[in-house]
Amino acid sequence: MKMFSVAHKTVFVVDHCPYMAESSRQQVECDVLTKSRAQGVIPLAPVSKSLWTCAVECSMEYCRILYDIYPKDKLVNYIVSDSEFHILNSWRREDQSTHELMSALAAVGPPNPREDPECCSILHGLVAAVESLCKITELQHERRTALMDTAERVANRGRIICLTNAKSDTHVRMLEDCIQETILDQNKLAAGSDRLMAIQQCELVLVHIYPQGEDTLVSDRPKKEISPLLTSEVHSVRAGRHLATKLNILVQQHFDLTSTTITNIPMKEEQHANTSANYDVELLHHRDAHLEFFKSGDLHMAGTSTRENGLKETVTLKWCTPRTNTIELYYCTGAYRISPTDVNSRPSSCLTNFLLNGELLLNHYLSSTLPSIEAVLFLRCLMTFTKVILTQKTKIHLNAVVPLANLIVKETLTEEDVLTCQKTVYNLVDMERKNDPLPISTVGSRGKGPKRDEQYRIMWNELETLVKTHAGATDRHQRVLDCIIACRSKPPEEEERKKRGRKREEREDRTEKNGNKETDDKSWQESERLKGLLDKEDQESEVIKDSPDSPEPLNKKPRLTTEEVQPPERAKGPVSLLTMWTNRITAANSRKHQEFVGRASSVNNKFELYQHLKDENGMDVHENGKASR
Amino acid sequence: MPTVILMDVSLSMTRPVSLDGIEEFQRKNLAVHGLNMLFEHMASNYRLEFTALMAFSSLWELLVPFTRDYNALQEALSSLEDYDKTCVESALNGVNNLVQQEWGSACPCQLVLVTDGSLGIGKGSLRHSLQTLKHRGDDKKFPLPFPFPTKLFIMCVANAEELQMTDAMDNLEELLRLSGGDGQIFTMDGPLCMKSVQGMFGRLIDYAYSPFHAVLHCGNLSSDVQVFPRPEPVVMDEEVEPMPRTVSADLEIVGFIEIADISSPPVISRHLVLPIAPNKDVDEVGTGATDELEEEPSASQMAGKSPNFCVLLHGSLKVEGMVALVQLGPEWYGMLYSQADSKKKSNLMMSLFEPGPEPLPWLGKISYLGPISEAAENPYGEDDSKSPFPLQPQVKRSYAQNVTVWIKASGLQTDVQKILRNARKLPDKTQTFYKELNRLRKAALAFGFWELLKGVADLLERECTMLPDSAHPDAAFQLSHAAQQLKLASTGDSQYAAFDHNIVPMHTDFSS
Repeated sequence: MKMFSVAHKTVFVVDHCPYMAESSRQQVECDVLTKSRAQGVIPLAPVSKSLWTCAVECSMEYCRILYDIYPKDKLVNYIVSDSEFHILNSWRREDQSTHELMSALAAVGPPNPREDPECCSILHGLVAAVESLCKITELQHERRTALMDTAERVANRGRIICLTNAKSDTHVRMLEDCIQETILDQNKLAAGSDRLMAIQQCELVLVHIYPQGEDTLVSDRPKKEISPLLTSEVHSVRAGRHLATKLNILVQQHFDLTSTTITNIPMKEEQHANTSANYDVELLHHRDAHLEFFKSGDLHMAGTSTRENGLKETVTLKWCTPRTNTIELYYCTGAYRISPTDVNSRPSSCLTNFLLNGELLLNHYLSSTLPSIEAVLFLRCLMTFTKVILTQKTKIHLNAVVPLANLIVKETLTEEDVLTCQKTVYNLVDMERKNDPLPISTVGSRGKGPKRDEQYRIMWNELETLVKTHAGATDRHQRVLDCIIACRSKPPEEEERKKRGRKREEREDRTEKNGNKETDDKSWQESERLKGLLDKEDQESEVIKDSPDSPEPLNKKPRLTTEEVQPPERAKGPVSLLTMWTNRITAANSRKHQEFVGRASSVNNKFELYQHLKDENGMDVHENGKASR
Repeated sequence: MPTVILMDVSLSMTRPVSLDGIEEFQRKNLAVHGLNMLFEHMASNYRLEFTALMAFSSLWELLVPFTRDYNALQEALSSLEDYDKTCVESALNGVNNLVQQEWGSACPCQLVLVTDGSLGIGKGSLRHSLQTLKHRGDDKKFPLPFPFPTKLFIMCVANAEELQMTDAMDNLEELLRLSGGDGQIFTMDGPLCMKSVQGMFGRLIDYAYSPFHAVLHCGNLSSDVQVFPRPEPVVMDEEVEPMPRTVSADLEIVGFIEIADISSPPVISRHLVLPIAPNKDVDEVGTGATDELEEEPSASQMAGKSPNFCVLLHGSLKVEGMVALVQLGPEWYGMLYSQADSKKKSNLMMSLFEPGPEPLPWLGKISYLGPISEAAENPYGEDDSKSPFPLQPQVKRSYAQNVTVWIKASGLQTDVQKILRNARKLPDKTQTFYKELNRLRKAALAFGFWELLKGVADLLERECTMLPDSAHPDAAFQLSHAAQQLKLASTGDSQYAAFDHNIVPMHTDFSS
């Protein structure tokens, strides 16, 4: 996207005329009675949003996504129109936030149904929008100053998104003509001014909103050119969720966004602390993040699915609990900002909190079939939370830790509390020494859980993280942390090394332990190996075994290729990129043809021949045999 | 950046070149001569480049797979046979397969197509391919553009005039356009002879195979280096800045940073940084580099013995687990780091970030970074336990604030239920109750959703009537106070409906 494409300036013009106070007729039941309390209580009548409320909340959602992904230099100017126009913010950077807009919207309030409709018009707002597009933004100003003699390279384009209730197609045409004329007028004015710029291109997106259950008076129309300066498109949408979906699609089109769904994210249930369910979270981000998939033709393997509305696609990637080493550099071809589509749903907030809490915000989500680490999508989020939130990571359900966990979150600790905490820690040390099993729930994760020493390692890590977050609070908190650190049998680095060492042994890769330098080399080898591992789904279990937070994915895709047939060279060492590639191509090709019936229904890779003889005339054979005897 | 040589071995390449001299040449001989020259140049100046040789007529054949063995390539050239007619499309399909198998689709690749400009006749000819471009099904798409970034160089063993007499030039230009436009068509100047073919390949070498030599500076230390593959110019925004940015020949190290802090940043390209002997002629590019071949070993032997800054830098980065930030030009940065390619071997590498003053948002502006000693207080803490990175953004993203979205009914229901849940636990949950209440109030006011305020007020009043006898007397007061405040806000009265106003708990004798 060019720096000064139409996406640089977006003007929202929202209709604030009396008819927008009408109900959208989509009702929301906000009084959900629990069964135990239901007797004798008359539930509150459902509430319904007005057309205005629908328009405002959807436009705010549009801005939220936009600001998340482009925190600067993609600007919004919000204008409300009734008997006059109200400009709610400016192009200035400090005015660009949903909080600013919400505050200004609250001051405007809903439309007044008793206002004289004759005085009110969306036109006031549209004229103001064109004037606003002529105003120079900070970025345009900076660039013009920087470029000096080639200042004309700084273009002035913009988009007007008009949310209104139009009367008819003729009415829409009238609005378009009016905008066209205003542009011409304003451009003349701009020619003689330093603070104004002539509009080179303007895109009008008119969204006609009408209540549920009514017929629309305005027809949809794809983008058409009104003049070299102005294009216009019309969307006729019912208020409520249809409008929300429409604006979600628009924000994606307007800002080159696309969607990725992270699937199978393990999360502890609030009510059932012992179980863990898998959730999906949909994220929006720049579409370049998918470029590598498209180019390598992997998209059909990574799994695209058309969504219910049939209009947009999402790429599904399977969650892999991050296990990257912070002190290694990985090759990364792109980092993209994200915004969850459903920001306040529990899975979304769990995911984002998890990412925000991570010390290193390097989290990769891999699909099981990606051929190489280069295709890994790095999504970075750039914030840390000040308060620890018990995400799935810290929610190890250990009765043994509970007293400590309960106490440590308190703002102040008494001397007694510190003692209790220390006791808990000593108790854990004792348990580890005796090699007692940790009461970690393995429900929800198939197969073997992590090994016992691994369990303890995780537990200590979690505990330390939890306490560390609070250690700054008081000296007493710090003492608890000191106690834990003192009691941990090994420092985390050594644990890490031990873990890696064990893994290597498992893979029969014998190398002598030779200090730090060697370890670095090995860990690189490790990541090389990882590339190979990602290739095959059957090896994924190995990757996952390492990260006990994440149970094995439940719904593996059916594979036509037989998993038993493993290339023999795998045992010898890392596979070459070429082999990986060829394997992948072979796998892809094998999916294209229908699998032989025999192989598909084989048992242990064996298929009994001439079965039909048995089925169809098996009796005959038998009888014939008998008869011939 | 690997190279594929695609050599036309159709019959037309055997056309004799009319010369005044004694010996008679075919166009093929001229082409082979030119390619030999290219290979010799690469062997001495560009020896890390992987090159493959493919011959084509109506069929194609991979003569030498990707290799750095330039002798093998030259040998294969000497034993070329002659076949039937030119068919560019199928050969391009072959190139596509070859490159994707070996390098995937992310690695940029150079294609050198050597032909005489007679591009076949009838079906399978380039003219036919281009004419039918728009009438093809998905399974028979024209191979260009390739899925990988491509530079296409077309070497015509012919004059420009000759090509312009037919539509050959137009077709080749179309071919270049289809490949993405990156590359060039080279033709021969003057009569077709050894000298003019040398000239043509010399221009290709200058254009695409000149080694990139630079001086790496770090304070008073410096080292002559070759950066391989050479960094290509980058255009960030063709409208604001149409001139491509090129990497400066002076690479200035501006600082060092922990690997954990820079944390696997996105890069646009990666390059080996190879020290070169300081006495070697830095400017030698293009033609005539062959005679230096003999001196090569001694020069590199000398380089091996003299102390070199690159060695120091590489070793230090490796041991310290750090990277060096390097300035590549005005507002353009990259990083130098040690990359292990096997257990024992590692290389000094340079990755380029996207041009701009702030390529990695989690570090902020690179020009704002400075030595730890200049900071008032060590940002890493005395015991190296903390880090100033990632930087906190000025405005939190929506997912890091507690935003209110009621697009789905469930969002609204959850928020209302949260309030009711806390209402039943008053006065213990007074703080949370009012926090949630104010959050709902703010959103309802911004969305102009006054009906909801009235509704929730009704709900709270109902809760008030349903309080059990055992309830704390404060609960009833707080509930009716909250309900009343919501009702006042729902009138839009500026005194009660201000966005920044918060409903505060009622002060009662019980709560004090």
